[in-house]
Amino acid sequence: MRFRHHVRHEWRLLRADRLLTATLGLFAVLFLYALLNGSAWVRFQEDTLGALAEARDERDARTRAELRRIASGGQPSSPFRDPRAPNVLGSQRNSRPAALPPGPLATLAIGQSDLLPFYYDVSIYTNDQTFLQNGEVENPLHLLVGRFDLAFVLVYLLPLLVLALSYNVLSGERERGTLPMTLAQPVSARSTLGVKLVFRVIVVLFLALGVSVVGGLATGVRDVGRLALWSTIVTSYAIFWLGLATWVNSRGRSSAWNATVLVGAWLLLVVVFPAAVNVAAGLLHPLPSRVEMITVQREASNEAVNRRSELLARYLEDHPEMSGAVVSEASSSAALAWAATEEVNRRLGEVVERYQGRLEEQRRLIGTYRYASPALLAHDALLETAGTGDGRFSRFEAQVRGFAQELKDFFVPAILAGDRMTEAVVADIPSFRYREAGFQTVVGRIVPALAALLAMTLLVSVPGWRAMRDVRGTS
Amino acid sequence: MTGLTSVPEEPRPTEAPRPADTYLLEARALSYRYGDHVALDSLDLRVAPGEIYCLLGPNGAGKTTTINLFLGFLEPASGSAWVAGRDVATAPLETKQYLAYIPEQVMLYRNLTGLENLEYFAALAGKSSIGRAGLREILQDAGLQPDAVDRRVSGYSKGMRQKVGIAIAMAKEATTLLLDEPTSGLDPKASNEFSELLGRMRERGVAVLMATHDLFRAKQTGTRVGIMRRGRLVAERETAELAHADLERVYLEHMGSDGGTI
Amino acid sequence: MILRTARKELTDTVRDGRFRWAALLVGALLLVALGAGWMHVQEARAQHETARATAREHWDSQGEKNPHSAAHYGIYAFKPRLPLSFVDQGVDPYTGTSVWLEAHRQNDFVLRAAQDASAVQRFASITAAGVLQQLIPLLIILLSFGALAFEREQGTLRQILALGVPRKHLAWGKALGTAGALALLLVPAAALGAAAVVGAGGGASGATLGRAAILTLAYFGYFSVWVALSLAVSAKASSARTALVVLLAVWSVNGLVAPRVAVDLSKSLYPTPSAFEFAHTVEREMANGVDDIRPPDREAITARLLEEHGVERVDDLPVNPSGITLQESEEFGNRIYDRNYEALWDAFERQSRVHDALAVLAPGLAVRALSMGLAGTDVEQHRHFASAAEDYRRDLMRAMNMDLALNSRAGETYLADDELWESQPPFDYEAPSLAWVLGNRRLSALVLLFWVVGAAAAAAFGVRRMEVG
Repeated sequence: MRFRHHVRHEWRLLRADRLLTATLGLFAVLFLYALLNGSAWVRFQEDTLGALAEARDERDARTRAELRRIASGGQPSSPFRDPRAPNVLGSQRNSRPAALPPGPLATLAIGQSDLLPFYYDVSIYTNDQTFLQNGEVENPLHLLVGRFDLAFVLVYLLPLLVLALSYNVLSGERERGTLPMTLAQPVSARSTLGVKLVFRVIVVLFLALGVSVVGGLATGVRDVGRLALWSTIVTSYAIFWLGLATWVNSRGRSSAWNATVLVGAWLLLVVVFPAAVNVAAGLLHPLPSRVEMITVQREASNEAVNRRSELLARYLEDHPEMSGAVVSEASSSAALAWAATEEVNRRLGEVVERYQGRLEEQRRLIGTYRYASPALLAHDALLETAGTGDGRFSRFEAQVRGFAQELKDFFVPAILAGDRMTEAVVADIPSFRYREAGFQTVVGRIVPALAALLAMTLLVSVPGWRAMRDVRGTS
Repeated sequence: MTGLTSVPEEPRPTEAPRPADTYLLEARALSYRYGDHVALDSLDLRVAPGEIYCLLGPNGAGKTTTINLFLGFLEPASGSAWVAGRDVATAPLETKQYLAYIPEQVMLYRNLTGLENLEYFAALAGKSSIGRAGLREILQDAGLQPDAVDRRVSGYSKGMRQKVGIAIAMAKEATTLLLDEPTSGLDPKASNEFSELLGRMRERGVAVLMATHDLFRAKQTGTRVGIMRRGRLVAERETAELAHADLERVYLEHMGSDGGTI
Repeated sequence: MILRTARKELTDTVRDGRFRWAALLVGALLLVALGAGWMHVQEARAQHETARATAREHWDSQGEKNPHSAAHYGIYAFKPRLPLSFVDQGVDPYTGTSVWLEAHRQNDFVLRAAQDASAVQRFASITAAGVLQQLIPLLIILLSFGALAFEREQGTLRQILALGVPRKHLAWGKALGTAGALALLLVPAAALGAAAVVGAGGGASGATLGRAAILTLAYFGYFSVWVALSLAVSAKASSARTALVVLLAVWSVNGLVAPRVAVDLSKSLYPTPSAFEFAHTVEREMANGVDDIRPPDREAITARLLEEHGVERVDDLPVNPSGITLQESEEFGNRIYDRNYEALWDAFERQSRVHDALAVLAPGLAVRALSMGLAGTDVEQHRHFASAAEDYRRDLMRAMNMDLALNSRAGETYLADDELWESQPPFDYEAPSLAWVLGNRRLSALVLLFWVVGAAAAAAFGVRRMEVG
């Protein structure tokens, strides 16, 4: 018996089953809808980032014009906004945008990108508080519900498709009485069932990967490596569910029993375990409250304002490289203000660091909880691959912090020295460009999840596969 | 043509011993237990080509167990089952090439047509080269109406499904047929047709082992009958030696006081 | 007869291992979620109380300062937690908890808890409300998909009806049996919840109890919908398996698909601007004004004041034109903010209406809206708090500006002291009344009622027309 005969037979069976073909059709629609949704969201982000860059160019042009005008003897439009002052040119008013382009596979997974900020206006005044800002304007209700993207369909609904196709792969044959008919032929039970299972994997993956790959490429995905990684995760996840179905079938119970158990397993692994993990995480590793940060920040700034000159002296002590640019009388107020700012930032930094430390610790612990459920593992891995997970956003935040430091290094010496800025300087102001994580970094992050997923798959399918050897024509 | 005249009036195979591999089915001290219950107790049985051997006995006598053992669906507790000179236990797949199995209810894929079902099972048996036209012919040989061939099996009667079962045996060129209560629940006409079909198979040298309750059918169709009770073969007769009434008498004698239903 | 059937169903159910396990699991989750929610709310309330007091202390002890400096210094407001939010935290993790009330600017709420949480937590952030809205219906399905279908498959339905039991009684018995089994789980949970509400922070107010009562009623209605729906499907389905498949499909549409589709639909019907666009518009309008809203002109204000007071020189004015100008610029800003924020909030509310209306297809959306509303964690109540905070900011800024205007003269260095800061009333937020909440949730209540009636009718119809097998 050749493989293709089996496939033809299975295909006929599938086609003849109206409920199943309808289900497959429904899934195709869901996949497409999810894909359109994802690509609309990516377009929205790209438009926003385009507008952002445009606004920066306009602002730069205005600043240049103003500087040109002043250089040729004009007056600054406002004494508080004199762009020649480095603390004005480096301020929020002339901020430099730091943008995170949509992830390499962002059309496939919206992930955290609707919640977390994907651009910041960076200036020398950027501090830890900057990173408390909200992301995109969005109805909180929508953030609560989450979006209908491909990752959602794959993680939540694809298992249901796999289970619908395979919950009775053996029990159905037995109940219909075709099992003895089949096993009266010179074929082994395991090879026949194996072919059936492989056929189901092919159908499911044809749909899931077809939409992911073709849809991804059509909506502008260019990172083939990540696409391959995505496909690997989806394949492992689908095979996990198929393995589970195999194992349940191998128990030799009725189709109704199999269906109940498998739906129960789906609920446990996709809904209940993640929920339980979340509740446990909230109890065992509560995230520290940020409310107290506000208090500390207020106290720090009160104090700093009161001790400005003292602070400048200390600042220069801490930064001997700056003391060469001895503060001129005229600029001393700017320098004093800067010293106060630095002090607030330093105090805030201390609190934030403590806080961030705890937050990271909690997140790390909660991260290990994802091994409780293949759905959590797959979801997390899909988001990281797509570049819409927590990993890429924290990488972005770290780079923005670095960029803010670059800006400070550019402007602060001038502030302390009381230098005046000219039009030529504008072109030299550092600008931000997100450096994408290398493919190997992403793979490195995903390998543990993938390995765990594979281990779970083996755990459920090996006993099932073993038991299939003993399948006989009688019950 | 009636069912009675359809039984060929040719000489019955003799009881003369033959070499082992000339028997298509052979049970040697075959035993099977379900837990403590002895379902089959040291059965010795031989079926030669061109023979229709009818196993009679009440429910639970061990008829179906015997068939399942020949199919390799069960593993014998002791003894062995042989098909075409090969031990089922050591060559489970090979022996199935010779076997065709027709259970009481021939169960097929309901959503596929008769032809598609035959195509699948023939392919499973390694006969994927026959081609649709050939399969169609076989189905008609097996007595399926030409217009039924391309209809879904869900609309088939029990008799029609049984014809597909026979067609599978034919396509597979099985030399041995294992039949489990094939005529129960068939109307007299269908039952009669089925007997005729078996007769034709027998003419081709096929060996048939048929478990049945139907004494009349056994007498008419079978060449030999074996009576089983509580896992043992308690009597064996050539049907040619028996009048119909004799068979019933012999059967009831062997059932003893605890009888058992027919 | 009904009671006998119900008792048989209940015994049957309670003895069923599957139910025991499922109920144990769901019950444990419900209790843990309630407990965790309660602890979280208590903690958050304490923290906010402290932060609020400290913020006020900072304000009060600013020392000698120009009132406008004090206005720039501003004060932080913290969103209070309502007692019932431990049942349903609603959109709270996504709205932010704190807002800085300062001069010239209406700030956004920051510190969204969800932004600190990881994707793992967001994947299944479940509260007691999640258990009630998602898992209890599942339990109901599990309990009753076979109620009639199994009996038909086993042939017992024929027997029962042959005994002369009216179909209606049989159906009621089944429904009450399921309800009884659920009650074993939910009544203790509800009692614990009630105890937590009453026990928390010196007893519950009448308003809280009223909210709790209606919340209970809403969930009761929601569960009845599922019981009736399960019976209807069980009566009409060709087999128990089909019944299970159909009910699970309904369940996943209700809980997984419909809410997300509602998000996309409402977004496309009532689009909101991007954050960048919003900020850009506000910035532009603040700089140039829009329509008849014009930025105040210091010169013109001074001229007007001179004329009003009939004096020639600025120094002779009884008020400080700076204070007046600041106040007018504040009012100008307010009008710009109102324009933009009102439009945004209105868009959010229209989006919410789409969710509410889609509840016609998925009862979960209706009960979610009611639950969040009554727990005080819906978008509308966030807006209510945000506008209260904004009103407070405006009052505070006016007080500062008017103090500057009335107590100082042009050009002089004026410093106010702690007396001024302390004389400002505290920001005491009062949660909206139950009537206000219910007014917002009218549509959801109506749709839920529609579901209760519709599902009951479907069950009645299904049972009357049920095949006996």
